Amino acid sequence: MKAYATKLIDLTESHAEKIAGQWARDVKTNVKTPSYRGVSDEKIILQAAEFYRHFREMFFHDAPYEQAEKFFEGYTEERYREGIPLHEAVYALILMRRHIWLYAEFQAIFITAMEHRQAVESLSRTILMFDYAMYVITRKYRDLMKLEWFEPPNT
Amino acid sequence: MKAYATKLIDLTERKAGDMAKRWAADVKKNHRTPSYHGLPEDRMIEQAISFYTNFRQMFFTENPYDTAKAFFTKYAEARYREKIPLQEALYALILMRRHMWLYAEFQATFITSIEQQQAAESLNRTILMFDYATYQITEKYQELISRDVDRKLGAVKTIMMEGAGGGKKGAFKAGLMGVLLLIACVLTYYYHATLGKGVIFTHLFYIPIILASIWWRKKGVLVALFLGVLIILSHAFFLEGAPLNDDIVRAVMFVVIGFVVARLMEGLKKVEDLYKTLST
Repeated sequence: MKAYATKLIDLTESHAEKIAGQWARDVKTNVKTPSYRGVSDEKIILQAAEFYRHFREMFFHDAPYEQAEKFFEGYTEERYREGIPLHEAVYALILMRRHIWLYAEFQAIFITAMEHRQAVESLSRTILMFDYAMYVITRKYRDLMKLEWFEPPNT
Repeated sequence: MKAYATKLIDLTERKAGDMAKRWAADVKKNHRTPSYHGLPEDRMIEQAISFYTNFRQMFFTENPYDTAKAFFTKYAEARYREKIPLQEALYALILMRRHMWLYAEFQATFITSIEQQQAAESLNRTILMFDYATYQITEKYQELISRDVDRKLGAVKTIMMEGAGGGKKGAFKAGLMGVLLLIACVLTYYYHATLGKGVIFTHLFYIPIILASIWWRKKGVLVALFLGVLIILSHAFFLEGAPLNDDIVRAVMFVVIGFVVARLMEGLKKVEDLYKTLST
């Protein structure tokens, strides 16, 4: 699996700060993520850069679910503490994924027929990771909202 | 866009029943969707068929966000009513998408290099639709949870008299409390000084004590303290010779009840604030 995705991973890792910067600009102006508007650029960029730097590890791990769980539970706790509503935290993460692909497309790293095949495989693997991420984040949010004496209705 | 995705859409529409059955079998034993394990299979197949048959419309629409919203808002409401937790409702939907692709792969729909390119484009469009779905379902769930919390706290909130007209309501509360405390003073004087006994009337004091703790939480305990001191002092002045123990116990109980109600109200306020912050 390593061969096909090296291009995407290398690009994401080596341009983590740049991609994070583009994501931060997007998330700060996107109508679906208004809670990010007041947060400082520095803090926002840091969370995306951290994700992009962990991308290789999550992508190639033999147990992708466990790896995603480890990373995204921490991500959820931080967003929860910052008072970011769940749907916005989820959408910000979707944008993080999109910015990887936007950057890759902009750099035109998938051109030939073989590269297109690689693109489909990279995309599938990324999507799998994000499927797990969505599950982990929504479950963790529920756990965090559960107060000692109060069971949240049907989260 | 129509050309590239026709294969996937045609297959999904034509084989909606097959895909739905496979999805239902998966979701009924998947350890991440335990709430679906007990649901009747027919009903589950029906929801997957509904998704697969609406897929073309969502895929080709000019306005994918609004079209997805119309469908997935209903999906979220239905799952919420069935008491499916959010993470399971989302994961079940993810599995619906995966089963579409698994079926397409199984049928070897995308083989040649052109078809591979079509596959990438179809995948991108499907993912876009699911990104919207994830956001819309999560948002709807948060909205429904918030509405549920509001409804469950409804009676208490009515007594709390919060919301619009804060200043007027604040003055009304203070005025009403003043009247209740005045009545308490008159009753205490009447029973202790005129009748010379201190019986059942003190139970009425729980009305201002509970209201004060609901309205002002910890600060409201001052009302309990005031009424406790009132009956002890009044006893000392007007009921000389009678044992003071009963009224001391009553005064302590006023403060305890006031404090317990105040703590409960702080807890409720915390829950309400939490859900408001995290769902809006």
